[in-house]
Amino acid sequence: MTAMFRAILYSQWKWSRLIVVLGTVAAFAIPLVSLQGAARADRGALQTQDLLRAVQSWGTLYPLLATALGLLMAMAAWAADHRGRHIHALTLPLARWRYVLLRFGAGFVLLAAPIAAVLIGSSLAVLTATLPPGLQAYPIALAVRFAFAVFVAYAVFFAVSAGTARTAGIILGVIAAAVLVQVVASIANLDVNLFAAAQTVLLLGPGPLAVFTGRWMLVDV
Amino acid sequence: MVRLRRQADSLLGSWREAQKLADVADSLEQVRATAGSDTIAVGGLRIVVNPSPLPWRQAAELAWPVIDSLYGSAAEDLPQHPYIFRAVDPDSGVRRAVLHVGVEVPWDLDLRATSTVLLTTVTAPHIDPALADWLGAALRPTLRPQDERAVVFVLLVTAPSEAVRRCFLGDIARCKDVLQVGDSTGLLARWYVTPAEREALVTEAFTDYFARGATAPSLQRCRQHHDDACTALLQSLPPGTLPRPLAQAAGILLVREALRAGGRDAYRRLVARPSAPIGERLASAAGMDIDSLVVRWRNDVRAARPKPLALPWWASFAAIGWTAFFGLCALRSSRWRL
Repeated sequence: MTAMFRAILYSQWKWSRLIVVLGTVAAFAIPLVSLQGAARADRGALQTQDLLRAVQSWGTLYPLLATALGLLMAMAAWAADHRGRHIHALTLPLARWRYVLLRFGAGFVLLAAPIAAVLIGSSLAVLTATLPPGLQAYPIALAVRFAFAVFVAYAVFFAVSAGTARTAGIILGVIAAAVLVQVVASIANLDVNLFAAAQTVLLLGPGPLAVFTGRWMLVDV
Repeated sequence: MVRLRRQADSLLGSWREAQKLADVADSLEQVRATAGSDTIAVGGLRIVVNPSPLPWRQAAELAWPVIDSLYGSAAEDLPQHPYIFRAVDPDSGVRRAVLHVGVEVPWDLDLRATSTVLLTTVTAPHIDPALADWLGAALRPTLRPQDERAVVFVLLVTAPSEAVRRCFLGDIARCKDVLQVGDSTGLLARWYVTPAEREALVTEAFTDYFARGATAPSLQRCRQHHDDACTALLQSLPPGTLPRPLAQAAGILLVREALRAGGRDAYRRLVARPSAPIGERLASAAGMDIDSLVVRWRNDVRAARPKPLALPWWASFAAIGWTAFFGLCALRSSRWRL
């Protein structure tokens, strides 16, 4: 089983190494760039708000990067199988669910690189910066959050990619139906707000995309 | 001169007449607004309300200890000023009679919101113009003192002022400067310590003010990093218009600390001598010297650092759960069902 996992990991690495390398470089660079100039010794009180603004602005890139990594890695994991109409997978002496599980696990292993890059980049950025008094750095919390966001994004897109065209059609159909109902409700002046309800379900509380929301701050009070 | 005096006297007479008429109108309006209403008395609170499902009594019972703890023995004077509320249907489009006294409140508020209405309506007793001017905002009880301290913590850390930063680091003299409770001479140099701060203040807050007329050349020089020009421009501002480097919340918190330290009569002592400097009044209210009070204030603020921006524990479990759920969806995909 280990040998099989290594083989799948290797094949997945070959298909997605460009994504992993570029994602890792970006994940390493964002924290460093977000704290650029923070190491200046002459940083006065005037610059504290500028620093926080810069950190907050750059912080919007973490969830975007996590989403992009999840999407591209999930697509890369299934692209070859889709092209070959899954014949290779069907010829393997392996239950389908095991095969999917190995692909899923291999993706997680490969995504560890950009997550580690965020942690190393953040720690390095914080170590080389001179933070104004009262501000604190949160490199570990940021890396943990990034890890969860990457995992959720990867799992969502992996599930979508693993599905058939019919499944994708059903998902798109549900979304289109919701849009249609909302438009009709608006025209009929009915008090129906499906988008707000969807936003609440998806983004707030324990929703699947809740981990992407909020402020992604490497440095804060 | 005689003509001007006559005109001034005439104006004064007209003003007094207008005042009397306004008092009569207020009195009549008060009678109209309170017709058919009930009076609820809890502690020193007197609330005049129309019949509604709002939990006024419970809200007053919740609010009164908070009000009493802030104003102490001075809260006994509150019954002189009953608060008039009119509960209204928030969903009704029916035109209502306009009342010029009291506050309209939607009748669907819960207990906490109703208490908050009471707390944000109560007016500080015997407040004088000097204290009101120094505070810059109404001194009202709060249900969340910890949040207020956290706000001041953020202000101390992020205020674009070297003086505020030094206060945060423990320079009590600077704290007194930025809170304006010490020596009030040379405020410009005390508040805006560095040339960069003075330049930023002129170019960001007063550009339009100084851009016209005789000050325009000085503004240009200030923009070219000439500190003497920036300082001269700021010194030419009318008294009382120099913006404080620390927002009003810090001063309000200092007053709360003084009242907390000084016991039940602290508020009475605070408002007893309106002509005395604010520092002396606060020290008298707190029953300690102003330096000790400021140290206490600073320690309280520093202990109120806001919670760090970490994911709540349940969010981590939720993320793991959703990852497992979508993974399971992939495993159970219809593609694999032969």
